[in-house]
Amino acid sequence: MELIISNSSDVPIYEQIKEQIKTKIVTGELKAGVILPSIRTLAKDLRCSVITTKNAYEELEKEGYVYSIPSKGFYVSDISREIAREEQLNKIEALIDTAVEIAKLNNIEKKTIEQMLDILYEEDQ
Amino acid sequence: MIGFMKKDIAMIKNNLKVLGVLVAFYLIMGLFGEIDMSFILPFMSIAIMISTFSYDELNNWNSYAATFPNGRKNSVKARYLTTVLIILIMTVITIILSLFISYTLNKSIDLEMTFLNMLAMIFGTALVQSFMYPIIFKFGVEKGRIMILVVIFGTVIVGGLFSSVVDLSKILNFLGVFENHWPLVLIVSSIAILYISYLISLRFQLKKEF
Amino acid sequence: MENILEVKNLNKKYDNFELKNVGFNLPKGMIMGFIGENGAGKTTTIKAILNIINNYSGKVKMFGLDNTKDEQKIKEDIGAVLDDMFFSEILTPKDIDKIMKGIYKNWDSVMFNNYLKEFSLPNNKVIKTFSRGMRKKLEIVTALSHHPKLLILDEPTSGLDPVARSEVIDIFQDFIQDDDCSILLSSHITTDLERIADYITFINDGEIVLSKTCDELLEQYGIVKCGEKEFKKIDKKDYIKYKKNAHEYDVLIENKKEFKKKYNVQVIDKITLDDLMVLMIKGVK
Repeated sequence: MELIISNSSDVPIYEQIKEQIKTKIVTGELKAGVILPSIRTLAKDLRCSVITTKNAYEELEKEGYVYSIPSKGFYVSDISREIAREEQLNKIEALIDTAVEIAKLNNIEKKTIEQMLDILYEEDQ
Repeated sequence: MIGFMKKDIAMIKNNLKVLGVLVAFYLIMGLFGEIDMSFILPFMSIAIMISTFSYDELNNWNSYAATFPNGRKNSVKARYLTTVLIILIMTVITIILSLFISYTLNKSIDLEMTFLNMLAMIFGTALVQSFMYPIIFKFGVEKGRIMILVVIFGTVIVGGLFSSVVDLSKILNFLGVFENHWPLVLIVSSIAILYISYLISLRFQLKKEF
Repeated sequence: MENILEVKNLNKKYDNFELKNVGFNLPKGMIMGFIGENGAGKTTTIKAILNIINNYSGKVKMFGLDNTKDEQKIKEDIGAVLDDMFFSEILTPKDIDKIMKGIYKNWDSVMFNNYLKEFSLPNNKVIKTFSRGMRKKLEIVTALSHHPKLLILDEPTSGLDPVARSEVIDIFQDFIQDDDCSILLSSHITTDLERIADYITFINDGEIVLSKTCDELLEQYGIVKCGEKEFKKIDKKDYIKYKKNAHEYDVLIENKKEFKKKYNVQVIDKITLDDLMVLMIKGVK
């Protein structure tokens, strides 16, 4: 599992770990049932403290992405992908919400926004 | 404890070149008939052990050793046992060299006197070391140096005067009580003073602040 | 969580310095960074824990045992690296292996020799020929090769170049892969600790100023930079210390979130252990 942690970022390290694992779950790189590296191994690989990785895993567990089996480790949960997708969709919705608000405020019709979306999607491909 | 002794011996071994040069120097002096070979025993034993103390001090070995299980006690114990071992080895070397020199110079040798002389040297060496070690354990080689120098020079001068002025056989007569028991008396008293010295050093070491 | 090391009410007086009620706990499986200025009392505390100084009061427990009553038993399970204390320089790593076999019950020659290979330390050259980095590495692997449960290290990274420091930190992280093992490590180079330390204990002038998880510390504490006007508005109980610079005030605060709310500040600088140390020592209340 490859995670890239920035030391100088304002985002705390455990948060960075959490977010990157989530992304890996959404993209399918981490599949349901897969065991995550132990908190100690991960701490060593990332050169961070054990408490940091422990925090990250425990929060992921709270949010339902992973579950733990005592003395075995943390596993990616079956519903992790749905949760992750849900969360991402929520984020997108919130952003679109803002976009639509601005559009309405300025009398920009829906069609134009749709066109914009199409263009943006194509650009990416 | 074994480990601590192995350390002392390893240090002496790694310093063998310097020690070899010293012995060779002695041997040459002896061949010119300048020196009584039996003095190799005290000089070399003391030189070897002092250099061990200094090397240890240079890297604060005693403080480091105090972090080991039974470190304080065993580092002292080992030092005394190594001392005994070195005295024995130096005795053998001294005897061999003495025989070699008297053979080369065609001198006759009084075996009984040589034997007694050696025992007296062992006793003298043990005595000096018994004085020195507690001082070193308490103050270190650096600070204890002046005190030690006094002890060494004092002993050498007294020893020198002693052997030149006094006829050994006279003392033997004087201490006639011990007749026939001389070797035993010297050996027992050597061991006794070293043991007492060990107890004092140990006490210093156990109370030491590292 | 079970503590591997408990220090309580440690007091020790010297002519010009004293330890005052030093206390902290180190849980199993964790690395604790012990920070403070030179002369703040790190080494004295470590020496008291190891019981190599006398005439101190207080209690030290390791593995649940008293450090004086069960000293010899405890010491089988401790590995110590102290500043400027080691084997004589005329010895070789090979000698050390033989010697340690006679000192620790659990000395592991295979492990020791593997470490020597791993760090390219020559087996039969005298220590005198080693560079400072090599020496430090040798000291550390020597402390590790009897399978200790607790490593106590006084300034293990000082004087090392960044590459050697990074190698040494790797060793520490390898060591705590076993969650029964812990490390207490003093340093005045805080960047090493910021990432790998689980706990930070900060000693200043013989007193423990704080002992917390590193994450908590870096997340909650902060520095507010402001002008004199703004500074005057800050309630005294809302900051720990401040330092007046030429044009601005550096104000050390304990809770970024609450401070942001209360004073309606947008940006509070992230804190580093270095900032914390400087402000704690040089700052005023």
